[in-house]
Amino acid sequence: MNAASAPSKLYSDDVSLIVVLLDANPFFWASSAAAAGDSASSHHPTTTLPFSKLLNHVIPLLNSLLLLNQLNQVVLVATGVNSCGYIYDSGDGGGGSACGSVPAICSEILRRLEEFVVKDRLQGKSPDKVVATGVSSLLSGSLSLALCYIQRVFRSRARHPQPRILCLQGSPDGPEQYVAVMNAIFSAQRSMIPIDSCVMGVQHSAFLQQASYITGGVYLKPQQLDGLFQYLSAVFATDLQSRNFLQLPKPAGVDFRASCFCHKKTIDMGYVCSVCLSIFCKHHKKCSTCGSDFSQGPTDANADRKRKTSEVQP
Amino acid sequence: MPQVRIIAKNFMDLVAALPAMKLDKLYESTFICEAVLRSLPPMAKRYVLQMLYIDTLITAKSMEEWLLPDGLSKHKVAIDRLLQLRVFLEVTDRKKETSYKINPKFQSNIQKYLVSGGTLPREPMPLSITVRLPTLEDLETYASEQWECFLLQLINSAQAEKLTSFSSSMIKICRENEPPKLTENGFQFLLMDTNAQLWYIIREYISTAEDRGVDPTDLISFLLELSFHTLGEAYNLNTLTDVQRIAIKDLADLGLVKLQQGRKESWFIPTKLATNLSASFTDSSSNKEGFVVVETNFRMYAYSTSKLYCEILRLFSRIEYQLPNLLVGAITKESLYNAFENGITADQVEHYQFCYYLLYLFTTLCVFCNNLIDSLLLYRIIICSDFFLNFCLFRLFVFFSKMHILELHKRYLQFQKMLQIRLGSGKPIKIELRSLLHIYTKIFHQRKYLKQHVILQGSWVDCCLKIQEPCD
Repeated sequence: MNAASAPSKLYSDDVSLIVVLLDANPFFWASSAAAAGDSASSHHPTTTLPFSKLLNHVIPLLNSLLLLNQLNQVVLVATGVNSCGYIYDSGDGGGGSACGSVPAICSEILRRLEEFVVKDRLQGKSPDKVVATGVSSLLSGSLSLALCYIQRVFRSRARHPQPRILCLQGSPDGPEQYVAVMNAIFSAQRSMIPIDSCVMGVQHSAFLQQASYITGGVYLKPQQLDGLFQYLSAVFATDLQSRNFLQLPKPAGVDFRASCFCHKKTIDMGYVCSVCLSIFCKHHKKCSTCGSDFSQGPTDANADRKRKTSEVQP
Repeated sequence: MPQVRIIAKNFMDLVAALPAMKLDKLYESTFICEAVLRSLPPMAKRYVLQMLYIDTLITAKSMEEWLLPDGLSKHKVAIDRLLQLRVFLEVTDRKKETSYKINPKFQSNIQKYLVSGGTLPREPMPLSITVRLPTLEDLETYASEQWECFLLQLINSAQAEKLTSFSSSMIKICRENEPPKLTENGFQFLLMDTNAQLWYIIREYISTAEDRGVDPTDLISFLLELSFHTLGEAYNLNTLTDVQRIAIKDLADLGLVKLQQGRKESWFIPTKLATNLSASFTDSSSNKEGFVVVETNFRMYAYSTSKLYCEILRLFSRIEYQLPNLLVGAITKESLYNAFENGITADQVEHYQFCYYLLYLFTTLCVFCNNLIDSLLLYRIIICSDFFLNFCLFRLFVFFSKMHILELHKRYLQFQKMLQIRLGSGKPIKIELRSLLHIYTKIFHQRKYLKQHVILQGSWVDCCLKIQEPCD
């Protein structure tokens, strides 16, 4: 695996380009806020975080990334339910220095997030889904947006910052996005772009565990969400060069389960096409991805066995 | 040039050398905290961020537990730097255990910055007064002109086209340059890139500030503040204190700011040199690509309009033609002798940033048999630097295949003697023989030859046995 763009053209120090993918799924955050309200009296107040408080942690993180190095660049991408969009790019229009305009950046981010959420809702086929907690956000879309942006940076100049992607995700994984997400992960691996994940939801995310494992990023599910900024600044703000020297959190195990291509269900065992490696949960006559024929199936094997036994017996 | 060893990271060392009280006073300004943070090594930056919202002490041992095995040296460097700059304060308790905590003033300033950003003590002036500001390109040409003029003055005062009116403080710095010959350190200075040179001059400026009755801390804080101004915007001169006003005139001579006068007001415009002041060093952003082409017959073509480059090239080559945008010259033995006599070593010629293509020098080694001393001198350039080794091995292959190693050794001893007679240099050339043999074995793997001849002569044995070590 030889990434064409990465090693020779990097700066020698810690100049970074960080693309932050922020989960803007209103269903997840609404349920999270409700849970936060409910659990004020319960014993786990720090495992849920309302969206307003989330921004209190994310915006200082963006500022601290920009503070660390004059040439650092930060891009914020929002992951909605039906669409994704670029919210903020520190590279354009920022001018010489970002100091003094932090409140301006903050208000701009908020304004654009609001516009994004409104637009996102209108793009949905059925405006209000019934199952609120099970709605997943479009992770594959935002990963693609991030990768395209980074590719553009690679191609525009010979010397460019070291890129990485930070995924702040809370919504559950949507198995229908499995193929797209895996494709994005493999292209990130080829371009040597680490994908870090910070999971703020209730359950672990198999997609993000695989993403961080395959691309060499960090996966973390913080236990105390009201200290999120400390996790973000201590773990995710570390530049790529220093990561070789520091011990960063590793997940206990990685969930490698795939989803089948036909029904988009998560499966442990299934059938694999030997030509294109597509995964199916049930036996099919033909591969839906590459069109290869599966007609020589288990039924023929039985027929052969019968023939053989009939031959052996005199 | 002052006879001091030139180190790249020199401004922050200056800041670190300030006494504790002055340093703490410096940290009252948010900009200085920011600039200091940006100048730290990457690991140190990370530690600062990590400790930013922690009020308790963290023991040194627990910090070391965060490291992977090979990170210990970087960790030590980072911690040393943090302690030097008094960003981290060391506390030793009764059990003799060291713990660190972050400097409270520094901490609160950075916390404030993260939430609300910093504000400059001055605002850009409205366009109604400043009417027409120079474009960014104009500013850049102005800055590079001023800077080059200054450097030219340092090399050769006769060559400077226009004598800018430097203040007496600046001239004092360059006082050592009375003789027109450039010393080894001077050459080293010229070969550094612009940011490093700038820092060096500014460091000298600040160290001599006390002689002029100016408090160096004020100067340092002004300079760091200057780096946060917006490029190309005009700022009113009456927002500066007296000290700063004097300083800004000197900085205008260097090309850091451009002074302009309107009807009633006068203002200054920071150039790129000023806004880059707080950039880190390792990111030396000098992506100058090679525009010097050296042919295999040592003719050299440099595409440049700058007088400064002409002077620098003149130091070790013979310029034949000087066209408006092209310099044609040749690297000859006389010019190289000149350069060596002035103490310029071959490494520096090689490390000069845009002489990537000097490696083509190598091919004329075939004159080895005839013009022994001359080619050996050229050879010395090549042997003394590993940089060339990697690129030129293939040429050596062709050359050395014709020579038996014993014969080579005999010749080498002859050369040694003749060199000592010719140049009177007492430097032992054993090191070169070692490298020579290193190359030989590397290319041909003819270790059997070496083993056969190992008992022949004493010095030979030394060299052979040490073949396996890397060259110095």
